[in-house]
Amino acid sequence: MLEVRSVHKRFGGNQAVNGCSFTVDPQTSVGLIGPNGAGKTTTVNLISGRMPIDKGSIVFKDRPIHNMPMWRVARRGLTRTFQISRELRALTVMENMLIAAQLQPFEGIVQTVFEMARIRSAEKEGVRKAFELLELFQLTRLANEYAANLSGGQKRLLELARSLMTEPDLLILDEPLAGVNPTTARNIAEYIETMRARGITLLIIEHNLNMVERLCERVIVMAEGSVLAEGSMRSIRENADVVDAYLGTVV
Amino acid sequence: MAALGYYVTVLAIFACIYSIITIGLNIQWGFAGILNFGVYAFVAIGAYSYGLVTLGKPIPGAGQSYILGIHAPFVIGLLAAALVGGLAAWALGAIALRRLRSDYLAITTIAFSQILWLIAGNETWLVNGWDGISGIPQPLNGMLKLSFNNYNFFFLALSLVMLALVMWFAQVTLRAPFGRILRGVREDELVVESFGRNTASLKLRAFVTGGILSAIGGALLAAYVGAFNPSAFLVGETFFVWAALLIGGSGNNWGAILGAILVPVVFTEGTRFLPSIPSNPQLIEAFRYIIIGLLLILTLKFRPQGIIPERPDRFQRATKRDRRLRTGRAAAPDGEEPPHA
Repeated sequence: MLEVRSVHKRFGGNQAVNGCSFTVDPQTSVGLIGPNGAGKTTTVNLISGRMPIDKGSIVFKDRPIHNMPMWRVARRGLTRTFQISRELRALTVMENMLIAAQLQPFEGIVQTVFEMARIRSAEKEGVRKAFELLELFQLTRLANEYAANLSGGQKRLLELARSLMTEPDLLILDEPLAGVNPTTARNIAEYIETMRARGITLLIIEHNLNMVERLCERVIVMAEGSVLAEGSMRSIRENADVVDAYLGTVV
Repeated sequence: MAALGYYVTVLAIFACIYSIITIGLNIQWGFAGILNFGVYAFVAIGAYSYGLVTLGKPIPGAGQSYILGIHAPFVIGLLAAALVGGLAAWALGAIALRRLRSDYLAITTIAFSQILWLIAGNETWLVNGWDGISGIPQPLNGMLKLSFNNYNFFFLALSLVMLALVMWFAQVTLRAPFGRILRGVREDELVVESFGRNTASLKLRAFVTGGILSAIGGALLAAYVGAFNPSAFLVGETFFVWAALLIGGSGNNWGAILGAILVPVVFTEGTRFLPSIPSNPQLIEAFRYIIIGLLLILTLKFRPQGIIPERPDRFQRATKRDRRLRTGRAAAPDGEEPPHA
């Protein structure tokens, strides 16, 4: 589904991504781990079109997507979340969900004025789907609350629920468990397992290795901008290079 | 009493025109977060376009020189103003909105306004230079043959109809997916883009819509006053529209209208009873700016959301009965529409 081929990205004198290559197969869950500054988030930014690559190629669903604007990549079925929750603060939880709903055909000025009935019908369907997801993530009672008023954990849940509104083929989760308490982290892990069960392909950046082991069948380790090792979490734990660069000691 | 009626009518006409312009800015700033400090440039574009299309050919030796002069009726003048205003907003927005944000965009829009002001003033052949154009025909005045006072009432009715149309459009837009996605762009462009929206195109649409509404306001202004010149679109004029929006309530169309009524009324009425000082005749004018500035500071300090703040849409979950009807497990009574969520 996703092929990253020898991708390079430099910021001034810093070679953030240095010949990174890996693949993600359909309907699998892949973990992307590595020390801080390994280039994980930059790689996700390059895949999602947030910034252009210097060299290499990225292919998604058999078509190149490198250097495509982010919105075009998203329309092809690739959705991402962000390391720090980016809820739309002055909008309600439901409005946040509807922003992610795929209502682009109804967002023109002409359609707004002349196709009100069709818009109402599409919107009703979006609201129904949003309530379904909010129920799944136990956010229904907060539907009309401003997103700014949510707790940190609730914001994380909103981000996950919102990303599912797009019905993505590939969902990239950038540290979905960062900054949440252990109970919420366990809940989020359960939701991610639900996503897997729905057949969504996942690429998960995470530092909580126990969760990575639980959620991902394959793990890619990045260090200094390139792939250091990949395989099952068990094999990764036993890899001397990974222990040296990231784990520090055999765990 | 008649004089008071006339005065109130004039104030109401200006309130309607200001409301249309402020709603235009609300779509740009209140909805989409576009910092446009060149609002009055688009008002001027509308006013000049309307004047140039509805005026007859300039009479040689009569002291006016301008282009066009095709003596078109009011509706054509209005459409021309909207078209030119929209095109100008598109041209500026296509260049500026793609790369510039917040303060840089604001500087660019001020620069655009100043360039336009200098061109209008210095290129005498274009719109008669600093003297401006005058004698702009008032809509249907020749045909209706109304008295001066009655024509004022007619123009107030016309302005109210225009405002009602603009308000309807702005309200429909605000509650539609288009308005919501613009509010999303205002909050965080990156997030909206990550959900497959071309934010540059969305911002451009909002900017052009605001430009068109400002130009329509300008056309009405020129049609009512009958003249327009560069002194009518100084930077201070844009400041009033901004003050109206921020005091009334940014993101809320009713707030925009309230602000558009309050600010000009306060501006003109707040200093009416101050005694004029012969040694400093500019003092009253300065006081007017001080009052509006003070009002703006107090609003931002104590009620930053404005008098009528933005209100989000409230959504109710479909009831069990709604869901049964949707899935066809229970038939709806004949002719009854399934209830909406």
